[in-house]
This record gives sequence, structure tokens and C-alpha cells, in this order.
Amino acid sequence: MADASALAVTSAVAPAVRLAGLVYDYPDGRRALDGVDLSIAAGESTALVGPNGAGKSTLLLHLNGLLPGRDGLFRRRPPSVWIDGLDASRHGAEVRRKVGLVFQDPDDQLFSTTVLEDVAFGPLNLGAAKAEARRLALECLERVGLADAADRPPRHLSFGERKRVCLAGVLACEPSVLVLDEPTANLDPRGRRRFLELIGSLPATKLIATHDLEMVLEICPRTVVLDAGKIVADGPSRAVLDDAALLEAHGLERPLSLLVGR
Amino acid sequence: MPSDRPWRLDARVKLAGAVGFVLAVVLAPPGSWRYLGVLALALAAAVVASGVSIPRLLARWLGFLVLVGFLAALAAGRVAESSGLSWRLAALDLVLRNGLALMAMTAMAQVTPWTEMLWAMRRLGMPPALAATLGFMYRYLFVLHDELTRMTVARRARSFGRRGLGFGALASLIGVLLGRALDREERVFAAMTARGWDGVPRTLDD
Repeated sequence: MADASALAVTSAVAPAVRLAGLVYDYPDGRRALDGVDLSIAAGESTALVGPNGAGKSTLLLHLNGLLPGRDGLFRRRPPSVWIDGLDASRHGAEVRRKVGLVFQDPDDQLFSTTVLEDVAFGPLNLGAAKAEARRLALECLERVGLADAADRPPRHLSFGERKRVCLAGVLACEPSVLVLDEPTANLDPRGRRRFLELIGSLPATKLIATHDLEMVLEICPRTVVLDAGKIVADGPSRAVLDDAALLEAHGLERPLSLLVGR
Repeated sequence: MPSDRPWRLDARVKLAGAVGFVLAVVLAPPGSWRYLGVLALALAAAVVASGVSIPRLLARWLGFLVLVGFLAALAAGRVAESSGLSWRLAALDLVLRNGLALMAMTAMAQVTPWTEMLWAMRRLGMPPALAATLGFMYRYLFVLHDELTRMTVARRARSFGRRGLGFGALASLIGVLLGRALDREERVFAAMTARGWDGVPRTLDD
């Protein structure tokens, strides 16, 4: 028990997300992440931008302890990811309870036969009783405006609706950190707007990997630029996204609203 | 869809009834024409009572029947030998039995939505892991089918009027589809783990 209270003390002061010297190689040996240091305070909304193949998605998977912290089969890497002060390589289950991950393709995330079953998947696995899981799932579907789709199979929903069901499924796990991979990709303007408003209304700490820089300006005060597995810029979104030279060097482009706004 | 399943019977009753019917058909000795005739009448009555769309049912059933006819032609010789029926009657016997069994299953599938069917299977004692696997299969069949359609369309767009795919292209198409299915499996597993999956299937029912 002494161990648990020590953890509680650290988490009171620890940042919501902390990465220190995070290194990861793809299975084929290419380096994906090359010493990433990042700290995100509780309640902060941070954008993670960078060209294709920069390592954004790989970084996000680490936040959930989904990638092994090992070299090859045996050699353990030193711990490099902490969520609320918890070492992700040792407290996988607790870390996954804290971090909600919304994947890019809703078909990867909606694997159950009905929408309600899917949203209840997390709570059921986290130990909720069936009645409680059902109540929570319905409540989260209500929050994303899809309560009437509860009994439908996921394949009968539009892309935007499926995306919102994914969010509901993650919210049902009541995470304190919300991690989103390309939340606005492939959404039509109305679907995008609706999804943005939803994300913006959530109080959780957010880390959002995206190419949608207009969205970043709208909902993320802070932007981190990742390229070739390294963080190359980190600062207030307006300043980072107005730095034409920096953006061009890393395969990005100044958002239109900053170009016409001056 | 509603015209397809007006029969508000418990899915368990439908599933158990259909399986029982199949057993009754299969266990009859060869050449029990009268017995099979009675079963056929009972099935016809059940099908009419279920209010299922008959043309659609027949279309599906006839599709299967072609395959049954082919298999019956292959197997009739051996059945004729062991039962003493003529080859033709043995073939007729095989087609009749399999046709009846398939009709029962097709009709049941058409009046029972898949989610209810899965629920019934779980309630009738199917192991949860197997029921979960069937659920995944049904869910991703459509996703893979969409993927295959996109790939064949992209392929046709670059084949410039040449008809057919050719074995080489078909083989590589299947290979790519398999690769994509494996990639997707990794992502689905990651998404499941992210929401606390520990290898035990849990559902809202019971």
C-alpha cells in the first residue's frame, strides 16, 4: 500500500503526459522515434504536427503502452513514458484506463456487432457491471448525439457517425487524457465542424496528431512539430504555425487563416 | 428490411427448431420418401407462416441447390451401393435432404437478424470465444469486401479495356488483400487493447 500512496503523491504534481528520451525502431530496423522529450500539463490541448512518416502515430501508440518498451526480444529499454506519473511500461492496464485513444480509421475501432455493444466494450473490460456499462454507453452516445443509433450495426452508419461512435467508446472509459489520431481526416465539412465542437467541449488533457492546421489554430493553444522521429519545434500554435521557414522545412504549410489574417 | 423479419419468435426457438429440423432430415434412412414429404410440408407451412419474402428465399436457395446437385451427382454412386436404391433415386434422395436442410437454414437466417442469431448462439451454449470470432467475421467481411471492391475498381481503371484479370493479377490482388487484412487485424487488436481487452469476451446480454 505504501507504494500506492507514493504513486498518488507523484501523480498530484506530475504532468499528465511525460516522454523522456523516447526511442523506438520499427520492426524492420528503421528508427521511428529518436529521443523524444515532451511534457504536457493536465488540461492542456496540444497538437502534434509533421509530415507523413514523421512518427506521429507511433508516438501516440506509446502513450497507451501499446508498443513494447524493448529492444528485440529481451533487452528492456529504460522507462520513457509516464502518464500522471505512472510508468507506462510497468503499469500498462492503469495507463490504458487513463488514456483514451481514438484511431484514425473508425473501422479499426468499431469491431462489435452493434453500436451499443461497441461503446460498452471499454466499461465492460474495465470491470463495470452490465447494467452500469449499458447506462454509461447510452449516456456517451447521447453526448455525441447518436443515442438513437444504439442498436444499429456500425457498417450502417456514415463515416462521420462512426467517428463519433469511436469517440463515445473512448469517453465511456472515462479517460483523463484524450489522444486523437487525425480526428478530422476524411470528414465532410459539417462532420468536421461537429467533431471539432465535440472535442473542444471535453475537459480532458488532449494530444491531437493532425494535418488539419486550421483545426489546430482553433482548439490547440500549443503545437509540437515532429519530423524524422525528433521534435523540431514546440510552442504556442500561432507562433509555430506562422513560421514559414520552419513549416516549409518540415513538409508543412502556413494555414490560410494566418496568411489572410495579416 | 421489416418485411424480411415479421416473425417475432425468440431467436433461440428459431435456431433450435432449424437445427432440430436438419437433424430430423439427416437421420432418416435413405428412401424414406413419405417421411421426407411430411417434413417438407411442415417446413413449407413454417416458411409461409413466417411471412418471409418467398421470391428472395427461393433465389438464395436455388443458388445453393446448384452446388447440392453437383455434390449429389458425385456421391450418389456410393449411396446407391450401400442402400440398394437405383443411382437416380439415390441422387434424388440426396438433393431432397440437402435441399430441405438448406431451405430450413436459409429461411431461419432470413427471419433472424444477425445480432439476435449471435445472441441465441451464446445463450444456447456456444463458447464465448467462438461467438466473438463469428461476430468479428461478420463485421469485417463487409469491410474487406469494400476494400476488395476498391482494389478491383482501381485495377480496372488501369487495365484499359482488357477483360478479366488474368491469374497473375488475381493472385497478387488476393495477396495484397491478405496483407491488408493482417495489417487491419493489428490495428483492431491495438484498438481493443487500448480499451482494456484482456482476452475474455464480454457482452451486454445475459
